[in-house]
This record gives sequence, C-alpha cells and structure tokens, in this order.
Amino acid sequence: MCSIPVFNTNMTRTSVPREALLARTLVELADTLVADFDVVELLTRLTDRCVEVLDVAAAGLMLAGPDGELRVMASSSEAMRVLELFELQAKEGPCLDCYRSGKPIVDHDLAMPSSRWPRFAAETLAAGFHSVQALPMRLRGTVIGALNLFHVETGEMSKADVDGAQALADVATIAILQHRASLEAQVLNQQLHHALNSRIVIEQAKGMVAERSGLNMEQSFSALRTYARNHNRRLVEVAEAVIAGSLAPSALGSAPRVAPAPSEPT
Amino acid sequence: MESGGSRRERILSLLVGPGRGAFGTKRLCEVCAEATAMTGAGIMLMSADTPHGSLCTSNKMSDVIEQLQYSLGEGPCVDAYYQDSPVLEPDLVRPSSPRWLAFAGPAIEAGVRAIFGFPLQVGAVRLGALNLCRDLPGPLSDDQHANALIMADVAAQAVLVLQADAPPEKLGSELGAGADFHYVVHQAAGMVAVQLEVSVGQALLRLRAYAFGNDRSLTDVARDVVARKLRFDAASGEKDRLP
Repeated sequence: MCSIPVFNTNMTRTSVPREALLARTLVELADTLVADFDVVELLTRLTDRCVEVLDVAAAGLMLAGPDGELRVMASSSEAMRVLELFELQAKEGPCLDCYRSGKPIVDHDLAMPSSRWPRFAAETLAAGFHSVQALPMRLRGTVIGALNLFHVETGEMSKADVDGAQALADVATIAILQHRASLEAQVLNQQLHHALNSRIVIEQAKGMVAERSGLNMEQSFSALRTYARNHNRRLVEVAEAVIAGSLAPSALGSAPRVAPAPSEPT
Repeated sequence: MESGGSRRERILSLLVGPGRGAFGTKRLCEVCAEATAMTGAGIMLMSADTPHGSLCTSNKMSDVIEQLQYSLGEGPCVDAYYQDSPVLEPDLVRPSSPRWLAFAGPAIEAGVRAIFGFPLQVGAVRLGALNLCRDLPGPLSDDQHANALIMADVAAQAVLVLQADAPPEKLGSELGAGADFHYVVHQAAGMVAVQLEVSVGQALLRLRAYAFGNDRSLTDVARDVVARKLRFDAASGEKDRLP
C-alpha cells in the first residue's frame, strides 16, 4: 500500500476532504500512544498517512542519534532508491539543514542549477522527484529529527498542506518523547539510540524473510508488519523472533504477495 | 546537544587519525577511556558465536574489572549485555540499591568508585559490552554519556572489522565509511544468514570479509546481495573462497 503513493493520494483526495483525513489521522495516531506502543510501526504509519493525506509522493522520518547524525527511522516506501535518498542526508540535504537550523527547509525545484545540495539534488531527480520539503521534529527547543516530503512536481506546497505535515511531525515528536516528564538529555539520547537500533533489527529480519520467501524488501517489511498487527505484537519483537529462529518466515503468511511491486513515481 | 557529526568524527580521529600509530584492540580500549574521560575501559565479548573473553583493556584497573566479571558472572557489563541497555552505577561504595554482591567488594578494592556498562550491538547482533570505570564517584555528564553511546557503536563496528580480518591499512576508512548506517548492509546480512545457515553476526563478518577480499565497499557488495546478483551459499562457490 505504501508503494503507490501518487495513485493513493488521488484516490483519497477525490472521496474525502483533506482536513477530515488529517483529523482522522491525528486521532488514529493519538489512539496508538498507549504505554507500550510500537515506535517503528507508529512512525511508519505516520509516513504512510503523509502520502495519503497530503499531496506528496513519498515521506520519511529521520532521527538524530547521540552523535547528531541523521538516520532513517521510517519511510512510506521501502524501495531502496527512496531509502537511499534519506541515507544520503546524513551528509547533505534538506533534512540535515532542517535538523541543524530547527527550521523548515524547502526546495521548489531541484533541477535549478543553484541547488544547495548538488549530490542530493541529482539523485533525487534521478529517482523521479522534483521538489522536497523538510519539517523539524521539535519540542520545547529540542530538535530530534526531521520529516521529509518528496513531490513528483515542482512548485510550492499549499500552506494548509505544510500545516498538516507539521502537525503530523509534532505528533511523531510527542510519540517519541512522551515517556519522559522532562527532556533529560541522557534519557533522550538513550531512547533515540535504542529506536535507531531497533530499525536495524528490522532490516536484518527483512533480509531473512526476503531470502526465505523470495519476496522483495518492501514485501518482506509488509509481511512483518502484517504479522505484528494481526498478532498484536510489536514489530521489533516479531523481527527479533525471526532472527532468533523462534518464528519461521513462512509463518508470516502470504498477505504481502498481493502487494504491488514498487512503482516508479514518474 | 552539541553538533554531533563532529562528536563521532572526533572519536574516529582519536582512533585512526594522523599520528595515532597502529590501530589495534589496545588502542580501541584506550580511546574508549579517553573519549569518555574515564580511568579505565575494557571490551568484553559475550556473544554466543564468538569465543567469550576480554578483547582488550586500557589499564590495570579495567583488567581486574573484566576478570572479576568473568569469574563471578556479574557486574555492569553482564547486566548491560543481558538487559540490552546501559547500566550506570555512579557510586559503587554507596549504591542506591545493593547489587553485584560478589563483584562490588573486590572492585572497590581495585580502586573503582563508579562503573558503567554499555552494550555493544548492531541491530540484533549482540557482541558484548563496553566497560567504563573511574576512581572517583559521580554520574556521567551528558557529554560523557553521549560519547559512551557513540563509542559503543564505533567499538561494535571495530570488533566486526577486526573479526573479519581487515587489512590494517583499511581500518580507518572502514570505520570512517560508517557502512553500518546503510540499511542495505543489514538486509544483506539477513539474506546471507539464511544462505549460509549462520547467525546474522556471522553473516555480517562474511560480507565484510568478502568485501575486503575483493577490494570492494561493503555497501556495494550488500547491494549485489539484495539485488540477488551475488549469493554466499555453496552453489555460488563463494563459501570455499572465504576464510
């Protein structure tokens, strides 16, 4: 479902007004903020909703570890070309600028030769995206990462869409920081570190599922998520069980096979 | 939080920067102590699929601490490894709740007043723990804590690089490249683990060893595995070529 962003957006936009979808999404996300919630699943769902509700082709969340380097935490697409656009931004790109400045960063037309990020612009264009936006994930002066939105078209995002995206980024920030009464640096660092490591656990499990089942990475991720949801378990726990051998990849079911192969945005 | 890219780079330059001499396990432990401003540091390997033991210690104090934890089976590293989370004891003489009843006495005798354990992990791969000790009581500062988390990541990567028998001249670029930041490497490790029927940790070593042996970057090799252009099982003949 997360692999057909443009199509998805068109479908939802014709049936339900964006404001209603956004409100519904915020309620849905708030509803998952229970004591022991699944941070990777929540953030992945949030990026999926960005694509469905806002007029964007792909969305990703990047978090800063204790070293201040940005890492991908969740993406609306598990396609490698999209993940690598996020990974690249540990070195240059709108997410890095946004994280460092704490301010929204936008580039309406990446094809302009004056781009601030030559390598990022070239690879983003090659992937079929023409404009990009990064919104800060911040709470009371602490910036923990950025929400990144990619568009197929050039041009500015509407003010309403930017506000909607920032609201989603704020929910993600609160989700990550909610376990603490204060913004104590050591606890925050430890939590971000732990969250980023759990994403690596999931990548390792995706590889095992892909090899055993012949699925691609996106389908493998979807199989893990579907199993976790159906069995009311956290995604990272399911991934750990696959790696430990206590859950066979074949037990994940065949649901992801109906998912379409990743499509190019253009 | 200070600008962290430089925090990681500072640690790397302590490890493999110019004028730092040959890289080895001893240097790794010395930098662990230096970067976190501790009296001593040590790295314990505890994973199921490599020999258990002390990889290195920076000085006599950390040496004693590691030996105690091995012989007694308790202490901050043991807890950090099994709890999968940092274990902090800022005052070993007057702990807020009694712990390590066998370990604490001899550790205090060795001069330790504060001790901290940080797990060494790469995703689900748990390698062991980083042990930091100090001859004065007191909590870690925010800076020391952040540096310890990064140090544990760098140390975990260094352990994998060393275990894959990387040529010494490649260690610096290997650690600097931060290949562990690339998810494709971990996806490939999962695939290779299934192909070779080994643990994900072993698969990460095989991937690295292959990359060294063929003078390619780990990320490139991983991309080929994920694209199903390269396999590591017996059918590919690759298995025989590997150490």
